[in-house]
Amino acid sequence: MAEKKKNGKDTGTRNLVIGMILLVVLVGAGSALAKNRVNTHATMPSSVSSADGYGISFNPKATVKVDFYEDFQCPNCRNFEAVNSAYINRLVTSGKIHAVFHPMSFIGPESIATAAASACAADQGKFLEYHTALYENQGTAENSGTWNNQKLILLGHTVGIKSTKFDACVNNGNYVKWTSNIEADASSKNINSTPTVLINGKVIPPSAYLDQTAFSALFTAAGVK
Amino acid sequence: MKNSSKLTILPWLTFIGRLILGGVLLAAGYLKAKNPSAAAGSVRVYEILPTGLANSLGYALPWIEIGVGLFLVIGIWVKRAAIAGGVLMFIFIVAIGQAWARKLAINCGCFGNGGISADGKVHPAVYLTEILRDFGLTIVAGYLYRFPHGKFGLDKASEEY
Repeated sequence: MAEKKKNGKDTGTRNLVIGMILLVVLVGAGSALAKNRVNTHATMPSSVSSADGYGISFNPKATVKVDFYEDFQCPNCRNFEAVNSAYINRLVTSGKIHAVFHPMSFIGPESIATAAASACAADQGKFLEYHTALYENQGTAENSGTWNNQKLILLGHTVGIKSTKFDACVNNGNYVKWTSNIEADASSKNINSTPTVLINGKVIPPSAYLDQTAFSALFTAAGVK
Repeated sequence: MKNSSKLTILPWLTFIGRLILGGVLLAAGYLKAKNPSAAAGSVRVYEILPTGLANSLGYALPWIEIGVGLFLVIGIWVKRAAIAGGVLMFIFIVAIGQAWARKLAINCGCFGNGGISADGKVHPAVYLTEILRDFGLTIVAGYLYRFPHGKFGLDKASEEY
């Protein structure tokens, strides 16, 4: 009995620590499970729909649908864009494909910021230009200060965005919550790496990403003239 | 009991083992908890579970790792935490092994060097280093299960947790 009394305080502290650790695990896991779902109350760009996985959509009436899953900080995406962006932009502006862009943000904070800013550019009708400019100005290291709101706004001005609404949209982080919807939807569709391109729902072969001839041949085969 | 210096070193080995296994779990859990969508992806790439289940596990697993890591580093429930840590490492080894056999890239992200390069080549060293690391940590977990009482722990020597 005396022994137990002497240890009483110790046991109390120990139980308190056990309780705290279990609480951290439960609260952390619980909130992670709750947060990483599509939030339909998030502010979203106007072209976005759940049917298109919340991606930024062009020419919804075109018969060939192409999904682009990319992260603005991903070096392989920059390489892919360097090879194919002129071709893709031409297909989109001429209305030949139903293009859906899913700006991913799994690389970190600057991916979230760039993805959200690209949606602000979409509001101004400059998504394609801004998208291309983001890759052309990609930093050499991830999340190391290449992008902040000020630089993202400045980049918008260089591609011809003049509205102060764009500046406010970036500064206020209007579309930050929307970026989680893109992530949640891509997770549910088993998109595991970037860039991932789907033509009419089918993932294109790995060898086509950095080979412009092979890449455009896939579109011809799908009926894009 | 006085016959060797080995016995006095055992509690220190347990302490060091706790810091190694607990530290690795804490660090891995922390990095993944910061980026839940990447964590979910890193479970999906093994293609063992259906997508929805893999995502849920991916969101929860970092916090389980943090919990087990905290128990080990602080030194509470060392025996139970060692079992949990050992089971986790064993599952990781099986997952990596089957991914290797099925030629699945085991990274989630952009670089495409998670064992399979863009041209489809398999790089055994990528899988092997991960398996060896986790095997080493499984041995540490086994040691902690056998000798759970070490320096600076809060478990009482008379009890088994």
